[in-house]
Amino acid sequence: MTLFRLALQSHRTGAIATAAIGGFAGILNATAYVSIAGATPPDRAAFAHSMEIVGQQLTYLLPRPVQLDTMGGYLVWRDLSTIGIVYAVWAMLAATGAGRGDEEKGLTEAWLAAGVSRARWLLTRAGAFVAVATASLAISLVLTELGTVIAQDAVPASASAGELLPLLALTLWAFGAGLFVAQLTATRRVASVAAGIIVIAVFTLNSSLRAGADPGQARWLSPFYLFDRSTPLLADGSVDPLAIAVSLAVAGLLVALSVWAFLRRDVGGALIRGRMPSGRPRWGPSSDPLLRLPVLAGIDQQRGWIVGWAVAMAILGYFLSSLARTIVDGFKDIPAMQVYLQRAGISGYADVVGAIWFSTALLIMAIFVVAQVSSWAADDAEGRLETALAAGVSRPRVVVERIAVLLIGAGIVAGVSSVGVYVAARAFDIPVPADRLALATALVLPVVFALGAIGHALVGWRPRVAVALVAAVAVASYFVQEFAPLFDWPEWAGRASLFALYGTPMTKVDWAGAATLIVIGIAGTAVALAAMRRRDVGR
Amino acid sequence: MTAAEEVAVTIAIHTDKLTKDYGAGHGIFDLDLDVNEGEVFGYLGPNGAGKTTTIKLLMALSHATTGAASVFGLDADRDAVAIKKRVGYVPGELPQFGGWRGAEIVAYVAGLRGDIADADVEAIAKRLDLDLGRKYREYSHGNKQKLALLLAFGPKPDLLILDEPTSGLDPLHQQQFYGLVRDARARGATIFVSSHVLSEVEHICDRVGIVREGHLAMVGKLDELAGIRAHRVRIEFADTPPVERLRSLPGFESLTVDGHRASGMFRGSFDELIRALDGSRVVTLESREPTLEEVFLSYYAGSTE
Repeated sequence: MTLFRLALQSHRTGAIATAAIGGFAGILNATAYVSIAGATPPDRAAFAHSMEIVGQQLTYLLPRPVQLDTMGGYLVWRDLSTIGIVYAVWAMLAATGAGRGDEEKGLTEAWLAAGVSRARWLLTRAGAFVAVATASLAISLVLTELGTVIAQDAVPASASAGELLPLLALTLWAFGAGLFVAQLTATRRVASVAAGIIVIAVFTLNSSLRAGADPGQARWLSPFYLFDRSTPLLADGSVDPLAIAVSLAVAGLLVALSVWAFLRRDVGGALIRGRMPSGRPRWGPSSDPLLRLPVLAGIDQQRGWIVGWAVAMAILGYFLSSLARTIVDGFKDIPAMQVYLQRAGISGYADVVGAIWFSTALLIMAIFVVAQVSSWAADDAEGRLETALAAGVSRPRVVVERIAVLLIGAGIVAGVSSVGVYVAARAFDIPVPADRLALATALVLPVVFALGAIGHALVGWRPRVAVALVAAVAVASYFVQEFAPLFDWPEWAGRASLFALYGTPMTKVDWAGAATLIVIGIAGTAVALAAMRRRDVGR
Repeated sequence: MTAAEEVAVTIAIHTDKLTKDYGAGHGIFDLDLDVNEGEVFGYLGPNGAGKTTTIKLLMALSHATTGAASVFGLDADRDAVAIKKRVGYVPGELPQFGGWRGAEIVAYVAGLRGDIADADVEAIAKRLDLDLGRKYREYSHGNKQKLALLLAFGPKPDLLILDEPTSGLDPLHQQQFYGLVRDARARGATIFVSSHVLSEVEHICDRVGIVREGHLAMVGKLDELAGIRAHRVRIEFADTPPVERLRSLPGFESLTVDGHRASGMFRGSFDELIRALDGSRVVTLESREPTLEEVFLSYYAGSTE
């Protein structure tokens, strides 16, 4: 029972975060629907018609739009599919943590040494995840239902409840995949990347199906396809027990394979491992000159990571920008969307590129910052900060170098991604001025600076909770920025978001907002310096 | 030169009522300690006695609750950066560098310090038989410890602060470590080494300080340790143990008898013990080095009686 309780605890933060994201997104989407779709049947029919045209272009990301003149149809299209992705990503990370992360911390070894069998260890972790995932999903769905009640367009509670099993099956499929991949690889980082590729692959398989391709029976390999088959929130929708059963069976099979692999591999080793290099030993230090230079050493250590982010963001930027023309044309016929675009200061194709791309880019850059904050906290917990300080590096230098590395890395990622945006704009004949795009890209850095500095101040104060808090700041900033114009919130409320302070520089540069972000960054850095100076270092 | 200046050039480490109070009796309290330049100072104590806390204070990784410490006359906290340019450090808990190769870690730390010569790195790596081409996560605990030693000794610092430096090293490489210490001392370096193994400090130290439950219990030259040097002895007899002879034997403490077996803590000459056993049929005689806690329990219990 102790093992199960500890396993539950290990998933606690993720469960709370996903429930909060799912619930918050559900409430906002439900209440936003009434604002943008209108309340009368003709308004909603017009909205549904226009959005279904737009939605056809978004099938790589969202399901085919159906019944968008109803709250249930809108939630299926806009909310639950995205929530499914969030839960799949969490499940994947939780699984690699359970299957490999705990091993890296020595926890697995300790439990096995205490007489817990390998099968029991993994099955307990899996069982605990089923429990927390069920609870988290239930909270998300209850809050989403609450959102429809607040919007005075409640969907039947039984229909909301009907979404629990399909979402749970999708989540457990991703957990099983992550757990199995964790047995095949040597580190959690590699396992997470490999599991991420699998999740993206099965998502893409379903996206191709949505876009009209016919992958044949291979479609059953995608848990996202299996999830899409259940539509209890639609007027004539239902739950597909076969699809759920297949998803759960695959999840169970993957967990069983994980146990099988764990029984056969060495603790700390991978099921499949290469031979040790048999060359001559090396006695001297690395000749990489960048490793010996301040700041550049930090960039050098993260080169693969930064390149990965830059390429992925460039591809995403290309795709989103390519949709600008379709989206603008589609929104022209929706009065509520016209009001929304007007409030957001969007009038032309280039403005849409700015609004769609940079709002997404800011969110992704925020994830980049959160990952950096996490690595700063880990530097302390894992003794690397102690090594640097013992080598004669001053504490202020540590803070300044970290912020500098963050800004340079973010600059590279943002710069490369904007190249993707520009190429797409040229390819689809969207007039995006290069100088304006460059300026808008550069203005991403004050946002990164502000969020990074807040993150470092939190790391200096409470390293263990810093990541969760800075992620909360980022999520809140995103939602406030997205929904402030939609609900016509007062200006001060909209300005409470770091992303809102960025504004829409493709349309009009908000210099006051940029200056505010820089001031927040400087203040955060000052707090970080003070906290770093005062605190004790070490585990 | 004034007396104060004379002290400043001959004392490498000085603490004055140095205290770090973590609460519930944990930490280090009112530590007054001087370590001379050029000496090898052993800092002994059982686990949890406050050794690592002291070292973290000297390295300015933790801040003192009260009191102060100085290294080479510089304030350990205020002048931490200047001090560390002259210090090599082995932490008690090894850092994690994941997928970095040993060679990359060395280059990175060399870049931070700016005073590690490639030739010195190669010499120490060869001496410790440490392949720097392998990834850190593939290193055994002993190899990770060797890398920590390389990073500490590589810059040829004036002061080495080593927290349990032989942890995980096999006997052969422990000898290599003793050799590194001797070489460092020969070029005039000061070495402050913590350990919980009495025999280890006997190999290398000129002077020792013993810390227990956060307080410095004693400081003295190595030969003064002989007073507390002890062995845990267990003797199995073929018949009834000679209890009275053992009890009256000077240096035999904490005697317990269980059937044909007698055990206790013995400090003194084994010649006398063997003479005391004369006439008894001894089946086995085991002697092992006690833990420091056992030494303390017997030594201090004895001194308070």
